[in-house]
Amino acid sequence: MDGTDAATTAGTTGVRLRVLERLPVLLLGSLVVLLLLLSLGIGPVRVSPGAVLAALAGGGTEETRIIVQEIRLPRAILAAAVGASLGLSGAALQGLLRNPLAAPELFGAPQAAALGAVLVIATGLADVLSFVLPIAAIAAAFVSVFALLVVAGRNASLLLLILSGLALSSLAGAGTALTMNLAPNPFAALEISFWLLGSLEDRSLRHVMLALPFIVAGAAVLASQRHAFRPLGLGEEAAASLGVDVARTRLLVILGVALGVGGSVAVSGTIGFIGLIGPHLVRPLVGYDPARLMLPSALGGAALLLSADIAVRLLPATTSVRVGVLTALIGVPFFLWLILRERRALGGGLG
Amino acid sequence: MVGGLIDRLVAAAATILTVAALIAPAAVLAAEPALEPAGVPRRIASLNLCTDQLLLSLADPEQIIGLSPYARDPTLSWAAAEAARHPLLSGGAEDVMVLKPDLVVAGRFERRATREMLARRGLRVVDFDIVRSVEEAKQQITRMGALVGHPERAAARNAAIDAALARARTAASRSGLRVLAVSRRGWVPGADSLISSLLAAVGLVNAAAELGFAAGGFASLEEIVATRPDLVLVAAAAPVAEDQGQAFLLHPALDRLYPPERRLVVPEMLTVCGGPMLAEALDRLAAALGRVER
Repeated sequence: MDGTDAATTAGTTGVRLRVLERLPVLLLGSLVVLLLLLSLGIGPVRVSPGAVLAALAGGGTEETRIIVQEIRLPRAILAAAVGASLGLSGAALQGLLRNPLAAPELFGAPQAAALGAVLVIATGLADVLSFVLPIAAIAAAFVSVFALLVVAGRNASLLLLILSGLALSSLAGAGTALTMNLAPNPFAALEISFWLLGSLEDRSLRHVMLALPFIVAGAAVLASQRHAFRPLGLGEEAAASLGVDVARTRLLVILGVALGVGGSVAVSGTIGFIGLIGPHLVRPLVGYDPARLMLPSALGGAALLLSADIAVRLLPATTSVRVGVLTALIGVPFFLWLILRERRALGGGLG
Repeated sequence: MVGGLIDRLVAAAATILTVAALIAPAAVLAAEPALEPAGVPRRIASLNLCTDQLLLSLADPEQIIGLSPYARDPTLSWAAAEAARHPLLSGGAEDVMVLKPDLVVAGRFERRATREMLARRGLRVVDFDIVRSVEEAKQQITRMGALVGHPERAAARNAAIDAALARARTAASRSGLRVLAVSRRGWVPGADSLISSLLAAVGLVNAAAELGFAAGGFASLEEIVATRPDLVLVAAAAPVAEDQGQAFLLHPALDRLYPPERRLVVPEMLTVCGGPMLAEALDRLAAALGRVER
């Protein structure tokens, strides 16, 4: 075998490897596109797939155009964007903390964001279609994740993180409900259920414009930090010796998570467990490299929330089911199973 | 028959769960033994926004010792200004008991535990049903007038409603336009509701029947667009998105199909209860229709 042959073999193996690496992303990407289209086809009014495509292209009757373009399209875009943002945030937090149970929901970030948004509404600073709302939600999410990492400490055990997160999210949830009860709104009960359980029903493109800039900015910040996660896997001291500015990375990850989660919650309310499940579902596909986990996690989160939002429309309920109810129904058993699997690590955290 | 009964029950349940939970009147037969019992009550407490309205309009101010929590809300309470002169109750049983009223008026479908507790304590509690037509509203006015000892005022209020009905008939639309009354989060009062009766008085048809709503229900935006009523009836010309429920009314899909010239605007405080305010509601509705049809 001469030199060129060996080079060619190595080259084709390299190409094949790269294709294999991209395969999960391609598969997940196609799944998200498929679910997006499916989401456009489902709703209380029956619209045939042909009519949906025609309406998307600007044809068909005025009714179907309005239903598809103005009612279903914003909902589908938001489900994908919010799901992706939560999945990405979960992957980033898991990378930062070297901890498979890290997720924005378990850290109380969405609950805190909801509290921030509700406080702004209750004080009359802004209405729900104002940019002040996502900004307040982002600020509150930032404070809560920051507080959690301060309280639990830098090298916190799983147990400490989860317990502190539970405390923070309970506090924020109670604060949200209390704020709405104190506000002079006779419809508080219904509105509280929106903020605590989340919904994507009857959103408009205005909601999309409100959330998307922050979600994109958050994703960009998180993606910029992905290369720090690999050295961080060796421990903070080792990462620092490899030239990673650990403090800066931590701050930027918290900022990215707050931007994504705050922007999402301002329009969708609190939707739980996507950020926890998303990364876990795709991890077997991409291996355990935290940097390579980011994009698949985002796609996985998008696919999960799109599916959940399709499912709530298919449930034969007389009143609309909140999408957060469904994600919790799936998410909590999954979480318990994760704890079961990580039991030794959790026990170690105690000892 | 059974189907009708179930329908009623479902309708009642749906109503309780929603907007109408705040509300409640309409004269009713049932377990009210004597319409005019011994003596005119001198200390009356109200637990319901709609009984508030009837009391404020028919009773002497000195007779009223407490009103429901939303009596002073200017968007829901027609007599909010008069309500400012009276103390508000919590809506629970405690403060009512302390006040020792000789009559408590309440809505039949809300605060059942409170009403039962007050009745067990020996207080006289009179329930008012949810009004489902202008006719039922007039019956309730008559009933409350008799209860508080001022039947002559009740007669005058009903005469005002009759006059407004007559005006509405002359101004009524001949085209039988289909109208959907849409409020926050897509709540739509059903075919068997006060709104239907008001719309019919000005020659309009409530499109809620096409959605299958008897007492009312939540319509999704898609369903509203697909039903495509000729006009929508809303509470405010320019709603503010103070919460996600209100944001529903600002959705571009509704804006597109229902620009201002296809919206009838009648404030919520005129349509949320059945009572003396219906005269004004009918005049406002006829005027709004006149603007749309011009």
